[in-house]
Amino acid sequence: MKPFDPVALAIPAFILLVVAEMVFARMTGRARFEVRDTAASLTMGLGSTVLGAVFAFVFVDFALLIQPYALTRIGWSWGAIAACFVADDLKYYWWHRASHRVRWLWCDHVNHHSSQHYNLSTALRQPWFGVLVLPGLLFNVPLILIGFPLTMIAFVHGLNLVYQFWIHTEAIDRFPRWFEAVMNTPSHHRVHHATNARYLDANYAGVFIVWDRLFGSFVEERKDDAPRYGIVGNIASYNPLRIALHGWVSLAHDLGSAHGPREFLAYLFAPPGWSPDGSRDTSETIKARWAAQQSPAE
Amino acid sequence: MGGMALQLAVSLAGIALMVGLCRLLFGAGETTLSAGSLTARLARDVPGFRAGRIAIGRDARAALVENASDGAVWLALARGDGMVTRKLARATNVVRDGERLALLLNEFTLKRAELDLADAADWEARLRA
Repeated sequence: MKPFDPVALAIPAFILLVVAEMVFARMTGRARFEVRDTAASLTMGLGSTVLGAVFAFVFVDFALLIQPYALTRIGWSWGAIAACFVADDLKYYWWHRASHRVRWLWCDHVNHHSSQHYNLSTALRQPWFGVLVLPGLLFNVPLILIGFPLTMIAFVHGLNLVYQFWIHTEAIDRFPRWFEAVMNTPSHHRVHHATNARYLDANYAGVFIVWDRLFGSFVEERKDDAPRYGIVGNIASYNPLRIALHGWVSLAHDLGSAHGPREFLAYLFAPPGWSPDGSRDTSETIKARWAAQQSPAE
Repeated sequence: MGGMALQLAVSLAGIALMVGLCRLLFGAGETTLSAGSLTARLARDVPGFRAGRIAIGRDARAALVENASDGAVWLALARGDGMVTRKLARATNVVRDGERLALLLNEFTLKRAELDLADAADWEARLRA
């Protein structure tokens, strides 16, 4: 059975909302757009959809390989869908956290963070070569082993991605406290996309921000430290192919220069910025330098 | 297959329309660099940054900025409505032709940067050191 895909259904709404945000930004100045950045983000979104369809068989075949070992067989019901949605969101949290902390996974995910702008088009700036992130497949294993139907897992994951679209905006400040406490919001996700030292490696949630609060990665957005978006070493290209490949080319270069298997594995699995001589910056070294600069009153 | 090609064509046309609208609403968004924007940006991005010597290229699209705290030299390039910065490694690969300085960075998204500077020879020596 071909799973119902909420993302495909939501694409017209995505387009209308990006247009609406552009008009809103022009009228109020409460969001920023730049034409080449927007073109790159939208093209990345299209490329990701096309390549995702081409390589979908890898994910499907892997899931079918695991499915016979499922502990139970859960049928379709509202309760099962709700449970699967929450479980998938927890999976998303750990996949996302790993994607920021493991270089191999970061090579792919970095594309989503490569814009210095933060608007709804940024949500569509998606990687092209997810098929190369083989360890990422493992995050789906628990859901399959629990016994959720594969089509249900795909469906709730689509809902999760649709939810995450609208939080990529500066046009919305904050929601009521109860909502900000439970749900991922534009404010929380601005922190996640920021390169300010205090915001690095924070707010990995997809839908429920409670996972960050629970696992110690939550950071509140501050009025006195407005988020600055992008990556620590911002890329100097608007060419979608270069954007899609830059993390992989950099990794390949490092793997080629590795002295021995230990360095090779560290380049693959250590956090982004790791280097054998410590000459590059990781988020830890940046945060440590920043913390040392703060006055005791901070 | 024909349906997929049509979907792709419609998607590309949609992107072109949205990019056109963005251009109409926000213009080309080309910025230029100034001492103020450079120091403000690096002060935010680099913990402990103190501005030292600053050299802005004649087209104001590229600049070199010294961090007085540690002596490191930063390259800044105007990109769209913002900028991209890089800390230059010691003994950066530099080629000078009169007042034109080319930095060979060999990055996948930034192979080369060029600056037109009155004191290009000074900066060449500084970067080669």
